[in-house]
Order: sequence, then structure tokens, then C-alpha cells
Amino acid sequence: MSTVQTRPAQSRSSADDTSSAHHAWRTVTEREISVKLKDRTFLITTVVTLAIIIGAVAFQTVMAAHAGKKTVATSGPGTQIVRLADTLAHQGGRDGVSLKSRVLSSTSAVRSAVQSGKVDAGLVPAGDGWRLIGKDSKDDVISTWLGVAVQQATMQKNAVAAGTSLPALQKGTALPYDLIDPRATSTGLAKGVGYAFGFLFYLASLLFGLAIANSVIEEKQNRIVEILASAISLRQLLIGKVLGNSLLAIAQLVIFAAAALIALLATGNSSALAGISGGISWFIVFYLVGFITLACVWAVAGALATRSEDLQATSTPISVVIIAVFIAGISVSGTAQVVLSYLPLFSTIAMPIRVVAGTATWWEPLVSLVLALAAGYGIIRVADAMYRRSLMQTGRKLSYRDALRTAE
Amino acid sequence: MLEVDHLVRRFGEITAVDAISFAVGDGQMTGFVGGNGAGKTTTMRMIMGVLSIHGGGVQWRGRPITAADRRGFGYMPEERGLYPKQPIMDQLIYLGRLQGLSASGARQRAKTLLERFNLGDRHKDKLESLSLGNQQRVQIAAAVISDPQMLVLDEPFSGLDPAAVDEMADVLREFTDRGVPVLFSSHQLDLVDRLCDQLVVLSAGRVVARGTAAELRRRGPVRHRLITAGDAGWVRGLPGIEVIDVDGGTALLELSEPADTDRILTEALRRGGVRELTEVVPTLADTYREVTR
Repeated sequence: MSTVQTRPAQSRSSADDTSSAHHAWRTVTEREISVKLKDRTFLITTVVTLAIIIGAVAFQTVMAAHAGKKTVATSGPGTQIVRLADTLAHQGGRDGVSLKSRVLSSTSAVRSAVQSGKVDAGLVPAGDGWRLIGKDSKDDVISTWLGVAVQQATMQKNAVAAGTSLPALQKGTALPYDLIDPRATSTGLAKGVGYAFGFLFYLASLLFGLAIANSVIEEKQNRIVEILASAISLRQLLIGKVLGNSLLAIAQLVIFAAAALIALLATGNSSALAGISGGISWFIVFYLVGFITLACVWAVAGALATRSEDLQATSTPISVVIIAVFIAGISVSGTAQVVLSYLPLFSTIAMPIRVVAGTATWWEPLVSLVLALAAGYGIIRVADAMYRRSLMQTGRKLSYRDALRTAE
Repeated sequence: MLEVDHLVRRFGEITAVDAISFAVGDGQMTGFVGGNGAGKTTTMRMIMGVLSIHGGGVQWRGRPITAADRRGFGYMPEERGLYPKQPIMDQLIYLGRLQGLSASGARQRAKTLLERFNLGDRHKDKLESLSLGNQQRVQIAAAVISDPQMLVLDEPFSGLDPAAVDEMADVLREFTDRGVPVLFSSHQLDLVDRLCDQLVVLSAGRVVARGTAAELRRRGPVRHRLITAGDAGWVRGLPGIEVIDVDGGTALLELSEPADTDRILTEALRRGGVRELTEVVPTLADTYREVTR
């Protein structure tokens, strides 16, 4: 058996001691990140979420594109009407709409093509004008644009017959619609972005939070915390743990957001992006503040427990808060939304939604952020004390009240 | 040298550690003995700064101990455990770095230690996949990863097979040979007897005995066994000698002074011959029972 080697040359100097005391949190942060990156569950959930985001955007785009592509059967003369409708739709800025005609030999052939579902509709002559044939429901795209085309073609014909021209007839009929204060983003898009970020925040603070609490319990239950506590201060341990998980959470969020943006760009929705990019930045800032605050409370939930079975009980209050922040954040409107957007934690979702929707002036998110930071600082101070007090109490599960009262 | 000076710790109404004092000299192996709830673990946790101190203090090399001093200590907690699901090499490096080693220094050190414990080829294995004996070996490796200035080990021998006990004892001796003070607690008195330079016996939060194993044995009254050729009943008549037991030719006696042996021998020879007169040294277990009663 060999002997335990001494290391006279590289034994600790006092200078090393001070520097490692200052940077112990970095070592803890590194471990938290490296353990998490090797965790199969974490990797799988990240990849699956990413796939869902890209898939959802792609699916929407394909569906939207497919919804606008229509084939109309005609028995010959209707072809020009269909072509006119297609041109008018494009002139009207409806790039997603595309109308194609399929020429068939007779009206009955058109009927049977519609019946069999090979075409979306049929256009047949009827008396002086035209008639649309559909199968079981009326198609809005076809009726709108073919309707306009028929109207225009017929008016043209009638104008010529009346000895005038179409432009002369249409003179003065246009009605421009100007907006004094146009909203950059549609309400629908703002809502969608709000839901998406709100849900990501909810998911991340719950999943990462549980992971933080479990890693605290693991250290407490296996008493490794005693070895750690004899080497570094518990505050350094808490900082490293919260920071490691927060960095991962924010990195995950940025990847998700980037994937969504790239998917939107790739599918030609670039115009929608311009309006929401500012709001997304606010989401990331609020997300970070909210996440770190909650992460410290999750660490307390872990420290209060003595076994992982206790976590169910100790994590209930914080889970309830997170669910309330999510539900209230995405569902309220009007004055209630304005109030929530200043209430720390609740502002995490409510304020960025207002920014995206364009209902917040420039200073409002700043004030709300300052409030969130102040409250976060207070919560973290208390959580830090509770964490340090309860981490070494291994006898039984503690309550939040115990942790506030117990001496170290 | 580590000095524990009137250390006190209370849990609510209960005083778990009541003004305990002892010292662990450089290169000295000190055994911490006492029943469950005697205060061994609580004292060790206070030495390591894991539990706050309610009274008294701990001195290291003649001055109050600091967090930086403790970072240079090797510690093995009572219900030991490292991260069950992390590869053993990774966690040794992590603990080494927290105790102030550089990343490469910690890696080198962890490698050396794992090879020493014949775990070199298992460095990527998770702790939970190892046998209990091997987990203990990793645990001692964790305690000595940063070449500690002092070792504080709570029940390091519990659950070890005889070969592993010897291995652990060898490791501890290497440290005391280099002048490192070692304090360990144990229920196994034979082991403490064999290994320790000094024993500290605790009972109900107080030090009830302290000294070398030999000193502790002699704390009690020294007894002698006399075996005579004939019946030994006559010893009852001797003044100044307490008779504990007589059974035929065998008597167990407690003498008030060492010179009494001559008196007994003379008398026994006069009465028909002596087969044996020996000092009966109590076992450590006897003394332990005596002092903790």
C-alpha cells in the first residue's frame, strides 16, 4: 500500500485561503451547472420544449398558408374571374391567399368535383351572372375574393354597356381609414406572447425551483452539508446554488425565445416581430429578477425539509404563489392589470404583457422593476437567514415560522 | 494542538454539552468515547463550526479558531454521505476545491487517493453504485482530500470489516506520524484501546475521564487475584484488605497499598503455599462502565 502523499510545495497559503473563501460560490455555481447539464431529465425536457416551440410556430404557419390556398373548378369562362380574384387578393395585401382555377368540361363535372372534395368550390354561369357551389359549408376566402372579382368584372361590363368606364363609376367611393396612434402590435399577438412567456416563467420557476429544493434536501439528508459548512459559509453555498440554476434558466429561456423568433422569421412573420422585441427584452429582465427571488425561497423550502417526502408540504406555499402569479398575470385586464403590473412577483408577467400590448408608457416598467428589485432584496435577505438556520436542523421537518424564530 | 475549552451547547432546555474541556496534541490520536447522547457528535460539530457554540471556545494553535483554520480540517460527519448520484472523482475534486485547492491540484490529489484505496478504475462510478465498504473509503478520501492540518472523524470505523478497519487505522496513523492531531469518536473500545494515545470519555454532556488507556484502567482500585494451595478463606481475617470474593483456593482482593502484597504472600506461604498472585487490570470496558455509571 502506498502512503498518503504530503504536498509541501503546493500546500495552501493564507492568500489562497482568502481567495477561495471569496470565490467558493463560483465553484458551487460550476458544480450546479455541470451536474444539471449531465442530467438526462433536464436535457430531455429542454429539447422537447424546444421541439414543441418550433413545431407550434411551423404548424401555425403551414396551417395559415394552407388555409389561404384554394382551388376553384370552372367550366371555362369562370377562369378569368378566378384569376382576377387572385390578383385582387394580392393587391389587397393578402399574401397568404392564392386562388387557382381548374377547368372542367361541364357544369355537372364541376358539381361532381366539388362533391368529391377535389376542389374547394365550383364557379358556374347562372343566367346573367355566376353561381358558387360548395360542398357542406361556405368558404369565407372564396366568397370574399370571388365576390369582389365578380362584382368588378360585372360592373366593368355594365359600365361599358352604359357608355362609361369603371374608374369613372368608382370615383369617390374609396374610404381611407387613418389611425392617429396606431398600435404596433395586434392584441392577439400581445396576448399570445404574454401567454407563452408567462407559461415559460411558470414552468421554469416550478421545475428549476423543485430541482433547487431537491438538491438542498440531498445535501441536508446526506449530511454532506456538514462537510460543506465546515469548508465554506452557507451563504456562499446558497449564492452558488441559486446563481447556477438561474444562469441555466435564463440560458434556457433565451434559447427558447431565440428558437421562437427564428421560427417566426423563417416562416415570413418578420413584420410581427418588430412590435414585440422590446417587450421580450422586458420579459427577460423581469423573468431574471422573479426567478432569482423565487429560487431563494425554493432553497428555504428544501432546507425546511429533512427528507424529500417533506418537500410536498414545505413547497406548497411557494407553488401556490407561482400559480397565482401565472394565472393572474395572463388573465386580468384593465385597472387590475395595471395594479398587478406594479406588484412584485406578479409584475414578472403582468408588466411585460402591458409593454408588448403597448399600454405601458416608457417609465412604467422601470418603476415596476425597481419595486421588484427592492422586494426581491428583502425576500432574499429573509430567505438567506431562514436557509442558514434550518439547514443544520436535522431532527424534524420545520415550518416557515420555526425557521423565522429558531436561533442559529 | 486543538484545545476545547469549557464548550457548552444547549438544545432548548437540554444542555447537550456541559462545559467540556480537553486537548488534542500534535500527532496525537485521541479517541472520543461515550454512549449515545453523551455529546460526542455535538462537540465535534461545534469544533467544525457546523453548530454554533453557546459557551466556551475552541483554540487552534493557541488562538481562537477561525473559518480559515476549519477549512484546513478534514471532517467526516456522523451519518456520512456524499452526493449519491455523482461520480466519486467529481465530488472529491469539488470538495478539494471548496477547501482551497486548485482544480488541477484537487484532481491530482483525488486520483492519488482513489488509487491508494484501489478505486482508481472506478473513478467515474456514482457513489451509490459502490459497496458500503468502498463508500467508506471514498468518505475518508473526502476527509483527507486537502491534506488536512487536523482530522475530526465521527465514528469512522462503524460498519467497516476488519480489513477496512486496518486500512483506515493505517491512514490515521500516517497523519499522526506527520504531526497532525486526530480526534475520532467510536463505540468500539477495543479499537480505541489499540489505536489511541489518549481517550476522552463523555457521559451526559460532561468529560468523566481523560488520559491514556493505561491511566484510565488504573483509575479504579487495583485488585489482585490470589490462588493458594489450600482453602483461601483465611484472607477475610487480614486487616486493611478488602475481600471481594473467595471461592475455594481463589480470592479476589482489593489492597489499600501496594506493599500489602508482601504481607499476603508471607501469610499464604505460612498457610501452605502460593500458586499465583497477580494484579487484575480491569479492561477498558470495565473502566468505561465504571466512569459512565
